[in-house]
Amino acid sequence: MTDVTRRKIFGAAAGTLAGAAAATATAQPAQPAPRDPADVNLFVSLSAALTGIAEAKLAPPVDPVQVKNDYYDQAKSDPSFVALMQIIRADPSNPAAAADKVMNNADAKIKFLGRSIILAWYLGAWYPPVVLQQPAPNSPVPPLKVISSAAYTQAWAYRVAQAHPMGYSELRFGYWSDEPLRLTDFVA
Amino acid sequence: MTDKKSSGLHWFSPTFMRPGLALAAVGVFSLGALQWSVHAQAPAAKDINPPVDNCNKVVEDTLPDPSQPTDPKRRIARKIGPELLTSGQPCAQIASGLGLLIDNSLGNRQRSFDYYSWLTFLALNSPADGKTIGQGPRPGGDAATKWESVSNYRQLADVMLDKGVKPTWGERIVPDACKALDAPDKMIVKLGEAAWNQPFKTGPLIDQNGNYAVFDILMNQPMFDFIDQNGLYSKQGQERFDNDVVFPLGNNPVSNATDPTKNAPGRMGAVMIKVSWRILDPEKDKALMAKFHTVDALIYFPGPPATKTGPTCVAKTLGLIGFHVGHKTQFAEQWAWTTFEHVANAPDEEQVAKKTLQPPYSFYNPGCPTCPVNQTPPDPWDPPASLKFPTNDKSQVVRIKMLPGPVLQEVADLNRQFRALLKGTVWENYMLLATQWPAVHDSKTDCNGSPAPTYLANTTLETYSQGRVPLASSSCMACHGNATTQHVPATPSDFTFILEKAQCENGTCGAPVTGKRPAQALRCGLAGQLH
Repeated sequence: MTDVTRRKIFGAAAGTLAGAAAATATAQPAQPAPRDPADVNLFVSLSAALTGIAEAKLAPPVDPVQVKNDYYDQAKSDPSFVALMQIIRADPSNPAAAADKVMNNADAKIKFLGRSIILAWYLGAWYPPVVLQQPAPNSPVPPLKVISSAAYTQAWAYRVAQAHPMGYSELRFGYWSDEPLRLTDFVA
Repeated sequence: MTDKKSSGLHWFSPTFMRPGLALAAVGVFSLGALQWSVHAQAPAAKDINPPVDNCNKVVEDTLPDPSQPTDPKRRIARKIGPELLTSGQPCAQIASGLGLLIDNSLGNRQRSFDYYSWLTFLALNSPADGKTIGQGPRPGGDAATKWESVSNYRQLADVMLDKGVKPTWGERIVPDACKALDAPDKMIVKLGEAAWNQPFKTGPLIDQNGNYAVFDILMNQPMFDFIDQNGLYSKQGQERFDNDVVFPLGNNPVSNATDPTKNAPGRMGAVMIKVSWRILDPEKDKALMAKFHTVDALIYFPGPPATKTGPTCVAKTLGLIGFHVGHKTQFAEQWAWTTFEHVANAPDEEQVAKKTLQPPYSFYNPGCPTCPVNQTPPDPWDPPASLKFPTNDKSQVVRIKMLPGPVLQEVADLNRQFRALLKGTVWENYMLLATQWPAVHDSKTDCNGSPAPTYLANTTLETYSQGRVPLASSSCMACHGNATTQHVPATPSDFTFILEKAQCENGTCGAPVTGKRPAQALRCGLAGQLH
C-alpha cells in the first residue's frame, strides 16, 4: 500500500527522538478548533488504511487519550487536507482504495500529505509534506515538531517494535526481565 | 466501613480471636474430638475480604428511560436526593458505558465513576456513630467520621511500625510524648516526611497563615489484613514474600434469579485514603470552623531520623482540605481513584485570568497577583514544632485545568447537585475534582489500564505536579503503577507506595535476602483477578 518501510520508520524514529530531545518542551496541542466528529472518524478510517493498523487500535471505542484529534488538527492545517479528505468522502466504504489513491496521487501535495499522516501516527511527529518532497538526505529528516505530549507517548513505531518511548513505559516494574509480549498483543 | 456485623462467620474463627482466647480454645478443642484438634493446628485462613451486607444498592447513576422501554440506550439520571445520604459505601462502581449520552461510553463511564465517588465520599464521611452525614453535634453538623474511627480504618504509621513489629487492628497507639495531651477523641498524626512533603519530595504546602499543611494515609481492614497475613509490614517480610502482591477486590453482590449458582455476596475490597489538613486556630479562625470538617489532633514528632524536631507532641485543630480514596474493585483492578477538595483551597486558573476570584482562599493571596504560582517554598523544609514555616513564604496555589471540558462540566453538574443535598453543613464546602479509572482494565500492554482522565491532581496533595505532561504531571495510576515492594529484586506492589514504608525487623536490615521474581501469568500482574 505504501513504500514507507520498517527500516525507514525506525530511521525516522531516531530523528524524532533527536528532535524531541533537542526541544526543551514538547509542543502542546493547538487551540482546539471545532471538529466534525464524522470527519474525524473518516480521517481515522483513512489513517487505518494508510498505516495498516486497525481503526479500533488507532482510536479505541473508549479512548481517554484522543490522540486522533491532535493528528486531525495537525493534518487539517495543511492546505491539501480538504482535497485529501474528499478522496475518502467519495467512497467511505472503501478506505483501502482511498489510501491507494492518496499514495499514488498525481498531486504531489496530496501524496506527501498522506505520507506525513503515516509518519504522524508512527512517530507522533509532524514532517511537513513539502520537506518530504525534497530528495532524501543522508541522515533522517528532522521533524518540524512533536505534535503533542500525548503524541509522544502514543507513537506506533514503539508498539510495532514491542517497545516504548524513552522515559515512558506503561508496563510494570521489572518487565525487562521477562520475555517481551507478543507483537499481536500490541497491534492486533 | 467494613462492617463487623456483616462480615459473618469469620468473627468466630479461632484465627481471629485474641491470642489468649485462641490459646484457651486450642486447649478446649484438644480435649474434644480429634477433628477439632486438627482444626486448631491448621486453622483455615481468615477471609481477608469477607462478605458485607451493606454495599450501596443505588450505585448505578442512571436508569432505563421509562418513556422509551424498547431502547436500552435511552437512560435517565437517577435522582440525587436525600436517600443517597444514607445509602452506604459502594463495594464497586457500576459503569456499563450506558448513560445520559448516546454512544459515548467514555463520557458515560466517567459520570458513573464520578457518581460512585460521591457516594463513597458521603459514606466515608458519615459520622462514626452511625448518624447521617451533616447531622453531627459540632458546628455545621460536623462529627468524627467513619474513616477516623480506629475500628474502621488504620493509619499507615500504625501499620508500618518501628522495627517491623507486627501491627494490630483497632487499638489507638499513643506515643509517650502525647500522653499528657491525649483524650479518646483525639486523632494522632505521626509525622514522617510523607506527612508534610508532597509526592516526589517536591516540598511542603504552606497556607496563608504560614502553617504547614499536614498529610495522612489510612487503609481499611481488608487491605490491612492482606499486609498482616502476608507479613508485608516489615522489610524482611516483604523479602520473604515470593508472590505477587494482589490486594483484594471489591465487588457488588450478584443476584441471579435464573442461575442461583452465580449468586455472590458483595465484598468491599481494599480501600486506602489519603487526606490533607490545614491548621485552624479555634479563636482566630472561628468564622471558618463551620466551613471545614475538623478534628482535634495531636501532631507527634518522633524525632530523628523521621523528624529533626522531637520527640514531642503538639495539639492542633485541623481542617480537612483534601481527600483521596483509592478503591480496588472488579473491573478496576488498577483501582478507582477519587479525589475531593475544599472549595476554598485555591482558585482555578480561569478564575485568576478572568478576575472572578472568590476569596478568601487557604492557599492563594488575591492581593499578590504577581506572586509565582505553584512554586515550592525555599529550603529548609523540615517543620518545627510550631508547624509554622520559618520564613514569610506562603504557597500561592492555582488549580490548573487538566481535565477535558466535558468532564469538567459533568463533574460540576454532579457537584452542584450533591452539594445542594449537603447545604448548611460543613460538607457542602467540598467538591469532587474527578475520578480516575481504567478505560481498558484488562490491557496486556498498558498495565495502567489507559487511565481516564489521563491526568488528575488535587491542589493540596499534588500541588506541584499539576499539568498535562506525561510522567511529569500528576496521574494517579501512572504514578502508583510504578510502586514496588522492598523485595529483592523489587516487585510491583499493586498500585500502592504503602509497602515502601515498612521498617527493618528489630531495627537491623542486614544483607537483603534475594528472592525469586514471582511468575506473573500476565505481564500486568492481573492473573486471577480478571472477570
